[in-house]
Amino acid sequence: MKDLKHRVLFEHLLSDVKNELVEQALDAGQKALGYSCYYVPEVLMNLDGCFSVRLRAPGITDTAIATYYMSEKTCMYSRSILERAIEGGFNFFSALLSTETCGMMHRAHEHFEMLNLVKEQNEDFFVSHIDAPFVTKDYALRHYERQLQKHVLDRLHEVYGVETSEDALRRAIEKHNALCRVVSAIGALRKQENPPLTGYEFHLIELVSECCPHDLILPYLEETLEELQIRKADDKPWYRVRVVLAGGENDDPDFTKLIEDSGAFVVADRYCFGSLPGREEIEIRDGETALAAIARHYIDTNECPRFMNPEKVHGRKQYLKQLAEDYHADGLIVQQMKFCEYWEYERMYCQHVMESEYGLPCMGIEKEYINTSTGQLRTRFQAFVEALEMKKLTKEA
Amino acid sequence: MQYYGGCDVGSTYTKAVILDENGNLAASTILRSKINAAQSSHLAMEDCIAQVSGLSSTEDLSYIVGTGYGRNRVPFAQENISEISCHAMGVHITDPTVQAIIDIGGQDIKGIAVASDGTVKNFAMNDKCAAGTGRFYEAMARSFEMSLEEFSTLSLKAKNVIPITAQCTVFAESEVIALVGEGKAPEEIAAGIQMAVAKRCFVMAKKAGAVNHITLSGGCAKNEGLKKAIEKVLKIKVVELSVDPQLMGALGAAEFARRKGGR
Repeated sequence: MKDLKHRVLFEHLLSDVKNELVEQALDAGQKALGYSCYYVPEVLMNLDGCFSVRLRAPGITDTAIATYYMSEKTCMYSRSILERAIEGGFNFFSALLSTETCGMMHRAHEHFEMLNLVKEQNEDFFVSHIDAPFVTKDYALRHYERQLQKHVLDRLHEVYGVETSEDALRRAIEKHNALCRVVSAIGALRKQENPPLTGYEFHLIELVSECCPHDLILPYLEETLEELQIRKADDKPWYRVRVVLAGGENDDPDFTKLIEDSGAFVVADRYCFGSLPGREEIEIRDGETALAAIARHYIDTNECPRFMNPEKVHGRKQYLKQLAEDYHADGLIVQQMKFCEYWEYERMYCQHVMESEYGLPCMGIEKEYINTSTGQLRTRFQAFVEALEMKKLTKEA
Repeated sequence: MQYYGGCDVGSTYTKAVILDENGNLAASTILRSKINAAQSSHLAMEDCIAQVSGLSSTEDLSYIVGTGYGRNRVPFAQENISEISCHAMGVHITDPTVQAIIDIGGQDIKGIAVASDGTVKNFAMNDKCAAGTGRFYEAMARSFEMSLEEFSTLSLKAKNVIPITAQCTVFAESEVIALVGEGKAPEEIAAGIQMAVAKRCFVMAKKAGAVNHITLSGGCAKNEGLKKAIEKVLKIKVVELSVDPQLMGALGAAEFARRKGGR
């Protein structure tokens, strides 16, 4: 296939959190708001005058100081974020919107406050913590909505004068939905037997949509969608098998590339901040306020293993099964960062259910935030691809 | 007669096998790996070719499959297949009754469950560190100032087992040196080392779903002390293979070559 016009640009934008589009927005006087969890609705951070930036630490190689503060028995992602913050990589933030969902990441965010990070550069900088529910009951939803009002909207209004009216929220939802429509339309192309894009390319696209100001990245995404609609795929599909990639935090497109280099096309992404279901549009129902709709949407579409109620526990497996069917996947790869408190359990349970109850071959991977030992991972992926291929051939025969 | 080659470029040893068109083992070799994987593969395959009359170069082989950590750098291979699939196939054609393999290589341990047709049913892999691998044994033998062969049988004489607590190769070596310094019986320390590795193998085998008819492959499969320790923790007798277990990866690769090239 011919290279995507903006592939190099997208790779470049992901090489630094403070990329050129972020700088452009900062120069225009907009406030950068950091976040690292789906429980903090991205849409609320994209009200007029501010924009969301997903916390990442691209290229980090050493977390010595963060390890001192947080111990080596915490996930590499949380330590990498803290280390990058100590290095000054997030000094352009106006606020960090946190949740106490994942304990380790919450500790990392607390260290922003305890170590007075960012504040030295911006005295108005604040960290705000949301208490997110474990269940999806009505009272939990109401609690979540109140938390969003108090810890996100009220703080942004008080500190930076951000308009948080009903009209402002509705405008933000419209803008957010426009971005989701484009990303989802691109993602849906992966359902084709011989798709015009790779999982790696889609991972880049999804990531830039989270790491760049929405109004600045949207034109590039729209152009990419147009390009993909006429892009000619190679005569024969390049892949040997199709897989759904699920699991926890994964902001490393090279991980997806590694899987694809082994012959498995990543057809669907269902991990923290994957496009499924992360890029579903927010619908405001009759009689609902914009904030209520946002709260409901982010609870309904939340696939975090932190949810304990049976509907969510079973629903997560059924959702994966549905994705495998919709995207014609031959298998599932569940990845989990080492020491991830939720996915450590969920991965094992998920593997068991997907294989024994749904008959979908499943492979579990424990990974680091930045994967350096790619040789071993490549062997695992290749062996999984070979096993799936054999199963496919046997089935066809 | 058509011939097919398999070349397993491992981190420590490079193995090559040639099969004839009927699947008979025509030649095999095991050489210490060089730093350059391509060079290792050339040396091993040339050594194998020299054993078969009528063959003079890799060009004379109908199909060649590369495997092992250096599988992407076997210049004369038409295809590469992961060592997990190759070990499963190699063991399967050697003994079709085997249902699971513990492959202890130079830098990792794998548990592989084998389907009735020789394909991989499931696998688990310890690749986070060198503990319990060939590299680990080299370090341990060095601590005792012994060859690997001598060390592998040392534990068989032990009456007691001195547990080794460190998992890391580096720390385990320090622990062993300290125990030797304290005057503990070398065979009992060696038995502790074998037990520590056997426990890791147990976990890998169980993770892969191994229950019965388990065999060992890879260079460490020739370690008698380890084999006994594994039998003890698994509470079953390990299946003996009629072909050198270190050759299983290369043999599987050659069998894949025979099946693919013979189409």
